[in-house]
Amino acid sequence: MAYMADSLLDLKIRKSFGGFSLQCEARFGDGITAIFGPSGSGKSTLLNSIAGLVRPDDGHIAFDGDVLYSSGEGVYEPPEKRRFGYVFQDSALFPHMSVSDNIHYGYKLTARANRRIEPSQLVELLQLERLMDRGVGNLSGGERQRVALARALATSPRLLLLDEPLASLDSGLRGVILEYLKRIRRELGTPMVYVSHSISEVMALADNALALRDGQAVAYGRATETLVMPEVSTFAQFDTLENLLGAKVAQRHDDDIAELEIGDARVIAAGVRRDEGDTLTVSIRAGDIIVSRQIPPQTSARNAIRATVSQIHMVDSRVLLYADIGVSDVVSVVVEITPNSLRALELREGTEIYLIIKANSVLPLEGGA
Amino acid sequence: MELLGILGLTVQIAVVGTAINLPLALGVSWLIVKRRIPGRLVFDALVSLPLAVPPVVVGYALLLLLGNRGPIGGLLQDALGVELVFTWFAAALAAAIVSFPLMARAVMVAMGGVDEHLEMAARSLGAGAVRVFFTITVPLAYRGILAGVLLGFVRAISEFGATIIVAGNIPGKTQTLPLAIYSEVLLGDDTMAIRLIAVSVGLAVVTLLAHNWLLDRAAKNRL
Repeated sequence: MAYMADSLLDLKIRKSFGGFSLQCEARFGDGITAIFGPSGSGKSTLLNSIAGLVRPDDGHIAFDGDVLYSSGEGVYEPPEKRRFGYVFQDSALFPHMSVSDNIHYGYKLTARANRRIEPSQLVELLQLERLMDRGVGNLSGGERQRVALARALATSPRLLLLDEPLASLDSGLRGVILEYLKRIRRELGTPMVYVSHSISEVMALADNALALRDGQAVAYGRATETLVMPEVSTFAQFDTLENLLGAKVAQRHDDDIAELEIGDARVIAAGVRRDEGDTLTVSIRAGDIIVSRQIPPQTSARNAIRATVSQIHMVDSRVLLYADIGVSDVVSVVVEITPNSLRALELREGTEIYLIIKANSVLPLEGGA
Repeated sequence: MELLGILGLTVQIAVVGTAINLPLALGVSWLIVKRRIPGRLVFDALVSLPLAVPPVVVGYALLLLLGNRGPIGGLLQDALGVELVFTWFAAALAAAIVSFPLMARAVMVAMGGVDEHLEMAARSLGAGAVRVFFTITVPLAYRGILAGVLLGFVRAISEFGATIIVAGNIPGKTQTLPLAIYSEVLLGDDTMAIRLIAVSVGLAVVTLLAHNWLLDRAAKNRL
C-alpha cells in the first residue's frame, strides 16, 4: 500500500467476534473514500468502528488529529460525541416521527457553534418540500434514503458514513440517489466514507477505495487504480461493471430518443423520459462498449464518441480500459475488451479511439422518486 | 359500602405496587436487553425468581426485612418511627415483588422488538444513551410496556400468599379482594364470597382484554 492520501481519518484496529476477525490499518483523505469488498468481508464492522457503534478490541482511531479511540490511552469517544453522520442501508428513519421531526432530531442536538448546514438548505438540495409533514411509513425507498441523508447532514457532520445506501433500491432509484450524493459532495463538501460491494458504484462516486477481504485490507489507493489491482479482481465481479455517469438532456428527438451531454460529449440514448435541461444518471455497461480506431462508415450504433485511452489494466483474462471522453469537461469511461482486441488494435495510453455505443445500451436511471 | 371499600383498597395497592415496579422494570430491561451487561443471564434469572418461589416465601422474606428487628424495618423505626409491616404499603410491596417478573419480562420483549438500527441512528445524530432511551426506545415500545404494566397489575390484584404474611388480613386496612374472599369462605358466607369472586374475575378480564388489545396493536405497528 504505497499510496496514502492526506490523513483525515487515521485508524488501526482489530476486532474479533464469532470466528470472524477484522484487522485493518488505513488512512483516509478528504473527498469520498469507498470501503469495498464482498459481503462478510468486514466492511460494516469497519464503518461501525469509525462511527463508534462497535468498539474494537484494540488499536486506535483518530480524526483530524482528534483521538476518538485508543486502547493504549484508554480513550473511547461514544458515537454521539464524534459528530459523524451515518446513513443505514435500511434508512432507519424514526417511525414515530414526521419527516421534518426526523430531520430536526439531530439538528437540535447540534451545538449552535457547529451548525454549518441548515435543514432548509437540505430540504432544497434533496427536494424534500413535499414530504416534510408526512409520516415516514408511506415513503418510497428513494424518498426514505433522501430523508436519511438530510437527517444525517442536518447535524453538520465532520464526516458522513454510508452503509450500502443504494443496496436496497431498484436500479432506477440508485441513479437518482447517486446524483444526490454527487450534489452533496459538490455543494456541501462533506467528506464521506462509502461502504459498498458494487464496483460500479465505487467507480462512479469514490475518489479513493479501500478493498477489504476476509477482514483484511488488501488494497488501498485511488478508486480507479485500486479496483483493477490483482488482489481485488478475484471478488470485484467485473461482469456487472457499468459506468454510472451523470448526464444532462441536451435535446429531445422524436419518441424517446434524446441527445445527452455527458461532460461535454454528446451521447444519444433511448428511453429517456426527462425533459430538456434535466439531469439524470445513465448506465453504460463496460462490456457493451465497442472500441474502434476509426469512425465506422456505416453502423446501426448511434454513437461513435471520440475518446483517449488514459489507462490500460490487465485483470485476469480481461482488459479494462479507461477512456476519457469530452474536450474541456473530461469524463472517464471504463471499457472492457479482450486481450486479443488490445493487441489487434495496438492500443496504448494516449491512443485516440472511438467508443461505439448503441442508443439503447445507454440506460437512463430515472426512478420515480 | 364494604365491597367498594375492598375493591378500592385492592386497586390502590395494585396501582402503587405497579408504579414502584415500572421504573425498575424499565431499568432492568434496558440493562439486560439493550446494554447487554455482563452476567445478564444470572441477572435475568434473578428477575424471574419471585415467579419461581412460593409467594409465602416472598412474604416471609419481606417480613424478616421489614419487621421491627429486620435490617430495613429497624432502620425505618429508629430514623422515622415508621412501621411498615401490616400496613397497606407492605401489601403494595408484596404485590410489587410478586408481579415484577411478569411485568419485567413483557417490558424486555417490548424493548427487544425495537430495531437496534434506530437506536444506533439516534446515537450517531448526537443523542446520548439516556436520550435515546426516552426519545426512541420507550416511545416505540410503549404499547408493549403498557401491556406489561397491565399484566403486572392483574397479578398484583390477585396477590394473596405474600400479602397475608407481611400485611395480614385486616379489614379496611390491608384486606384486598383475595384476602376478603378467603375470609368469607372461612366464615361460610357463600353469597358474599361469590360476589367478591365475580368482582375479582371481572376486574381481571377487563385488564387482560386491554392487555391483549395493546399487544395486538403493538404487533400490527411493527409490520
